[in-house]
Amino acid sequence: MFPKVPDQHKNGKPLVPNGLGVLYVLFTTVYLFLLYFLGEGPSVSAGISAPLTLAVCILFGGFMGLLDDWMDLKWRYKAFMPLIAALPLIYFAIGMNARTSITLPFIGFVDFGVWYFYLIIPLIVMIVTNTVNMLGGFNGLESLCPAIALLGLMSISSLTSSSYLLMIGPIIFWLILTALNLQGKIFVGNSGSFAIGMTIASFAIIADVKLSLLISIIPYIFNSSLILLTVFFTHKKALIVFKNDKLESDHKRSLVTAITYHRPLTERQIVTIVSIIVAAFTLLAIIYSFISFLI
Amino acid sequence: MSKDQVNSGLKSFGKRFKINHSSILIISALILILFIAFTVRILPMRWEIPTGQIHLNEFDPFYQYSITNYMVKNGLFSPYTNHWINYQQWYPAGLDMSQSLPALPMTAAALYQVVSFFGIHVDLMAFCSILAVALGTLSCLILYFIGKDMGGRAVGLFAALFLALAPSFLQRSSLGFFDTEIPGMLGLLFFILLFLRSMDPKRSLRGSLIYSVGAALALAYFIAGWGAAYYILDLTALFAFVLVVLKRYDQRLLINYSVTMGLGLLIAIQVPYIGLSYLTSAPLIPVAAAFIVLLVAELLRHNVSAKTKLLISVATVTTILASFISLWYFGYLGSIAGKFSSVIDPFIRAASPLIASVAEHRISAWGNLYIELGISILFFLTGLYFVLKNPTNRNIFLLIFGATGLYFGASMVRLLVIFAPAFALLTAMGIIGMLKPFMTLLKETPNVATKAKRKLVRVSKEYSSLGILLIFILLMTQFAFSPQTGGIPRAYASAYAPTSLSSAGLPVLPNEPLPQWLNMLNFANNDLKSTDVVVAWWDYGYWLSVMGNVTTLADNATVNATQIENIGFVYMGTEEQALKMLSTYNNQGNIKYILIFTVLYVVPSQTVSGYYESIPASLGDDGKFVWMADISGSAKDRLVNDGFMTSNSTWTNRYSFGDNTGNGWTWNEQGINTTIYKLLAATEQAFTAKTGGIVIPSSDEVTLEYFKPVYISGIDITSLGEGTLVPLVGLYEIDWNAYNADHPKR
Repeated sequence: MFPKVPDQHKNGKPLVPNGLGVLYVLFTTVYLFLLYFLGEGPSVSAGISAPLTLAVCILFGGFMGLLDDWMDLKWRYKAFMPLIAALPLIYFAIGMNARTSITLPFIGFVDFGVWYFYLIIPLIVMIVTNTVNMLGGFNGLESLCPAIALLGLMSISSLTSSSYLLMIGPIIFWLILTALNLQGKIFVGNSGSFAIGMTIASFAIIADVKLSLLISIIPYIFNSSLILLTVFFTHKKALIVFKNDKLESDHKRSLVTAITYHRPLTERQIVTIVSIIVAAFTLLAIIYSFISFLI
Repeated sequence: MSKDQVNSGLKSFGKRFKINHSSILIISALILILFIAFTVRILPMRWEIPTGQIHLNEFDPFYQYSITNYMVKNGLFSPYTNHWINYQQWYPAGLDMSQSLPALPMTAAALYQVVSFFGIHVDLMAFCSILAVALGTLSCLILYFIGKDMGGRAVGLFAALFLALAPSFLQRSSLGFFDTEIPGMLGLLFFILLFLRSMDPKRSLRGSLIYSVGAALALAYFIAGWGAAYYILDLTALFAFVLVVLKRYDQRLLINYSVTMGLGLLIAIQVPYIGLSYLTSAPLIPVAAAFIVLLVAELLRHNVSAKTKLLISVATVTTILASFISLWYFGYLGSIAGKFSSVIDPFIRAASPLIASVAEHRISAWGNLYIELGISILFFLTGLYFVLKNPTNRNIFLLIFGATGLYFGASMVRLLVIFAPAFALLTAMGIIGMLKPFMTLLKETPNVATKAKRKLVRVSKEYSSLGILLIFILLMTQFAFSPQTGGIPRAYASAYAPTSLSSAGLPVLPNEPLPQWLNMLNFANNDLKSTDVVVAWWDYGYWLSVMGNVTTLADNATVNATQIENIGFVYMGTEEQALKMLSTYNNQGNIKYILIFTVLYVVPSQTVSGYYESIPASLGDDGKFVWMADISGSAKDRLVNDGFMTSNSTWTNRYSFGDNTGNGWTWNEQGINTTIYKLLAATEQAFTAKTGGIVIPSSDEVTLEYFKPVYISGIDITSLGEGTLVPLVGLYEIDWNAYNADHPKR
């Protein structure tokens, strides 16, 4: 049923079904619709439905990914297309009278005012969706790391609201896909990575865990910044060489190439190291939020 | 006739009208869409039936209704031939009803007479209410044909569905919305359909001319129906100009443009209200300029040297510019009404509180646009992409229509309705453009080679169906489970509301119709004389004059800004100032009553157990006073010079009377001495007294010097809940005797 693509980092390059992230999109949509109909969790408030808002955003992310899987969208489209998905979130945030401020470590209280709705939310959606999409290419990497970040955000949101209920079903389904992805049996594809990126961004805005999101995705931002700056200044892309079951690079143009710089590692080792980095930042976000909550 | 003859006759009939399965599907889908369009628009009927009459909605439809009524009684051309001046409006000058666009009332009156001819006797107001629904549905059908011409039957179906459910068009074509948009949209869509068909290069010259004449008739109807006709005139001129620039000019364009514009304008200027002056109005300049450009293009089409071409081009541009400047300099160019010029430059509205006070003239907030477009904006953008990729004449028109429609829709809330068909068409093109490859894959299984890194080997049918499914669900969240309306369909949220009269002017969804305004209008109808003048803020003018059969000083026609400023002054001044101003209108002793509309929000008291508190909900004059203050304040100099405002109590805006605090608006010393405050407070206290004191009023006790309550509608509320909205319409008689005793004439 799903298109098969060669697994580049395995001997013999076996064909693996790609784009199974679309199943996550469908499952999540059904789950969120059920939440809406059953009135569970943060269903309808101030005339706006949180589950349906989230469903629209994830559907949009999934659809964008599906198009990318299929016709290889150019980066200039991929970068800005998520802005459309910011519209329901802006409407949600204004309708729910969402907090427009953030308290940053060392800097303190920053109130964005209306800029939060018209600038910060679109930026969050655009950056998170694209950076999550950019950190992938290895079995499990594009599924495990977002799962860690999302689990962290869910636990942080459970301190103050019932928003985490929105994500219980989807995260279980995503973890199943992650397990299969780690074993190299499936790829979630761009439909999966865009959908999960959109999930993280949308959930963070709906559950109002902006700072935690910012901390959790630091590795993603680092990776994307490295890739984009290198391309911008040197016009060179990050490349990794697969030899004797190991991967190695001779430059530091991305997070993965920085890890494998003159250091041959297996695919599993790379995924583990990156996941630990993401987990460390997520843990930092949890600890910071917990302390803030107690204070 | 033998059995065989009958059989063969039926067979030949069947052959002649052979319909395949796909046609049956398309026709069924179209009928379903039209059925949806009609039923959604008629939803407000649920609140009309218990009142025993189907009412019009909002305010302007009552104006259209009064002309229709006059036409039915006196003949289709009577308002123009009789130079009808309605002295029940804009007392004392009256309102010149011959200065009205005839298309809508004439259509309604003519159809009403046809219906009556067949022995069907319907209440005229009910007929007009339902006619809006029928014509709105007809517009969806026309858009189907436009879409069909542009991208096939599927595009037509989607476009018709999207227009049927577009909130802006839905609200302006639902039950009772008997206003200029109805003939306007009909004329606009008919014009687009016929004009674009006339441009079809495959069509014979004869066929093309027939369509041009049809387009001209539609254009004339549009001009005679809606002031926004300037839009389509200039859009067509721009379209012609763009075709020339893109080197797509052909002789057919010149012929079609000339016939359509020439004949259309020729017919339109026969309408008395429009007249010859229409041709010299500024928006007609581009129409003439485009015509000259087409003539030059025709000239250049023949073999002429480059030097001559350059000379002709320069001469043309110089002539157009020189003509425009000369006409403007010598004052031959008529100006266009403020609200139209302010569409092009919306910042003009900021300087005019009179225009800004009309909700439908405000700049569209992004929320309006989002509610209108929703997540379908994705398909709108892809539609633009597909249209750009295939720049046929039709697609170029659609592109210009979409871009200009979006600009005007963003400039003024009311004009989102013009953007609605363009959005529906482009969204439909986007969806079909995206569905096509998936559908192709469903039919066959091609190899799709794309990515270098992870090259796709093949895409299965099931995978394609997932793509279609995702598009379907995205559309479902747009139309069936909209997050922004709490999960109910957007169309339902837009249309499922009672008419303004049946909801007592409140933006609520009551279980039963709210009778406060209807009772007041019945009272006025039964107990007041038609010559009695009731002073009211202009919003209620049409209701009072048409339904209440009394005379008013102002209404939504807003033809006399000075009179509106004076009414604002009456409400914002003290009682003495108010009566001093009203006495200037009272030469014949007709100014007898003043009306106030307030809405209270009654909630259980937080401080006294078992009691309630009333809070102004800012939904009636308790919210509109800010415009009364701003509009009258803008005439400060005149009012001071005329001796109405005293130098120690002048104002320029609302903030002279109080300010917004954490608990809402707080009146200051000047504020609590205004007529409006006293009338609001007196009405509120009459209500709280009627409840036996169980409701604690928000206002201080007031004593009215020159006004005596006659009837307060809504005062007899029977039960109070956790939070109850209480609309109150108070009618007060002006005590001229008391005023004259205090102010004897010298």
